[in-house]
Amino acid sequence: MLYIFKMKKLKLQLKIQKYLIIAVLVFVAMPVFAAEVSFDTKTQEIKVNQSFEVGVFINTDNEEINAIEGKIIFPQDLLEIKKINHGNSIINFWIDPVRNCVSNGVEKPDEICFSGITPGGYNDSQGLILSITFLAKKEGNGAIKFGEVKALRNDGQGTEAPLTISNFNFTVRETAKSTGQMPIVKEDRDLPEEFVPQIAADPSIFGGKWFLVFATQDKGSGIDHYEICEGKRKCIVAESPYFLQNQNLDYEIIVKAVDKSGNERTVTIPARFARAWYKDRAILTILIIVALVYLIWKTLWKKRRK
Amino acid sequence: MANFSYQNKSIITTTFLILLAFLLILLLRPVYASVQEASTRSSVCGNGVKESGEQCDGSDLAGASCTSQGYTGGTLSCNSSCNFITSACTSSGGGGGGGGYVAPVTGAVFNGRAYPKSTVTLLKDAQIIATTIADTNANFSFNISGLTGGNYIFSGYSEDNKGNRSSLLTFPVSVTSGATTQISGIFLAPTIAVDKSEAKRGDNLAIFGQSSPNSEITISVNSNEEFFNKIKADSGGAYLYNFDTSPLEIGQHFTKSKAALNGEITSFSATIGFAVGTKNVLAQLPTKTPAKGDLNNDKRVNLVDFSITAYWYKRSSPPASADLNGDDKVDLIDFSIMAFYWTG
Repeated sequence: MLYIFKMKKLKLQLKIQKYLIIAVLVFVAMPVFAAEVSFDTKTQEIKVNQSFEVGVFINTDNEEINAIEGKIIFPQDLLEIKKINHGNSIINFWIDPVRNCVSNGVEKPDEICFSGITPGGYNDSQGLILSITFLAKKEGNGAIKFGEVKALRNDGQGTEAPLTISNFNFTVRETAKSTGQMPIVKEDRDLPEEFVPQIAADPSIFGGKWFLVFATQDKGSGIDHYEICEGKRKCIVAESPYFLQNQNLDYEIIVKAVDKSGNERTVTIPARFARAWYKDRAILTILIIVALVYLIWKTLWKKRRK
Repeated sequence: MANFSYQNKSIITTTFLILLAFLLILLLRPVYASVQEASTRSSVCGNGVKESGEQCDGSDLAGASCTSQGYTGGTLSCNSSCNFITSACTSSGGGGGGGGYVAPVTGAVFNGRAYPKSTVTLLKDAQIIATTIADTNANFSFNISGLTGGNYIFSGYSEDNKGNRSSLLTFPVSVTSGATTQISGIFLAPTIAVDKSEAKRGDNLAIFGQSSPNSEITISVNSNEEFFNKIKADSGGAYLYNFDTSPLEIGQHFTKSKAALNGEITSFSATIGFAVGTKNVLAQLPTKTPAKGDLNNDKRVNLVDFSITAYWYKRSSPPASADLNGDDKVDLIDFSIMAFYWTG
């Protein structure tokens, strides 16, 4: 009796084990539906002193993604950044410019932070976020990794999409045969895209005073910086939103978008309000001329009288 | 006496010259002001109203059409610089001529369907580049030039006859330098609205909107079980479906729609919510104000709103207007919400 009971118990245990194994196998074999961020390179072997370009891509896997942020971490002892290119990116607006991450006010030289949006969402398999050109400095093994990457759905609530991450492992060798993915040097003569800067005021920033917003793209090399020239003031490098120094808005504003190849697109915003008459050079010139004519006439008249 | 006369003459002359100077100033002022006015007016290109110095502004073509521009037909539209786009206008007859080299233009032509006589807005990299009016069959066309070779994110939306905006449809386009890229088959999703924000269980809920004329509309009502209903839009593109709420449980539900015509099918429209309860509550009339993201209350969600939000990114104590999900911080989620409601 006891033997039969033990046998039944053993059979039951075997059955449970069998089902557990099947369940685990099904779970493991099930395809994971998730967006993927990855690096695109042709080789993992790079020669010392060789430049190579790494593209950062997203495959949304039928999800509509409208916002993404993250960091790219690389071994600083092996690699040096030569250029960051976000021309041709699927990101329409960068929340923060793509640059070295800053933590507690300290810039991290081995981390690049990016965050941006694509209004309306992006749904495709080969979405270029940005590309980075590295220079291999010395021999060694390393990896370019993603950190704290988030991709949000275009659902009006900003829910996080499941994401898989593929890092890039590489070897730098003195004797590497492969030439790696050499950046293609193309002459970029195209100006940044046309754009319309806008003057705005809002009580929530700059104390409700006038500020300027601007954004454009450059399909060749990406935007390097913007310059603002207000009236006779010296042109300065600026970021949007830019607090306007001339709050009277009575001088024209020139906004320059400069790409990484040095091409400039210039937009002039006319003065919104008329200047006070005493600020007008033409009127002042006339007044001075009249005064001079009067003085000359008066002197001559005095001489004639004598 | 002679001295008195000299002083007198001097005063008179000085007064005369000062008066002359002011006269000159007064004469010059109107000229100066008009130049400034013209400049100021030109800066409001994009406000949807055609003003002096502009050929058009948005959908305001000031009564102009392809025929008034010397063409025989087609669709006249307006570009972001408030000038006419005549590239979608057509000419018949004539011929001959030729010769000379024409530099290749890098551009793109967009053809698609929206709603009859609706205003269609095209965005290039999330900024408005052109608007046009769809014809009576809901067809629209844009011809965009001045592009450079590269990848663009184009998007479009339209407004139906009740002022409801469609969801933003995006389409990544790779433009080839020196060629015109054709993008056809754009089919904007229908608009959708309901007559009640809360429907008494068992009563009908009117689900309505607009799409292309005679298109087949599929209406989805999400509950524990998803209900699909089909209806045909009328010749004006309008559709109305009275949904019996009897099978729905008490609580919040959602509905959306999509359209199909001649083998082409749209994506789903925006999803709108309604409640099933114990009483009927009429829904608010559609407004042009986006539900979220319009920080400066100009009925648009665009670069200005983005810039204000970007100013508060990772800063402490952001204003409630910039904190779109109300979690006391401005982070990526707020930007994602803004990107969803984007109008350009």
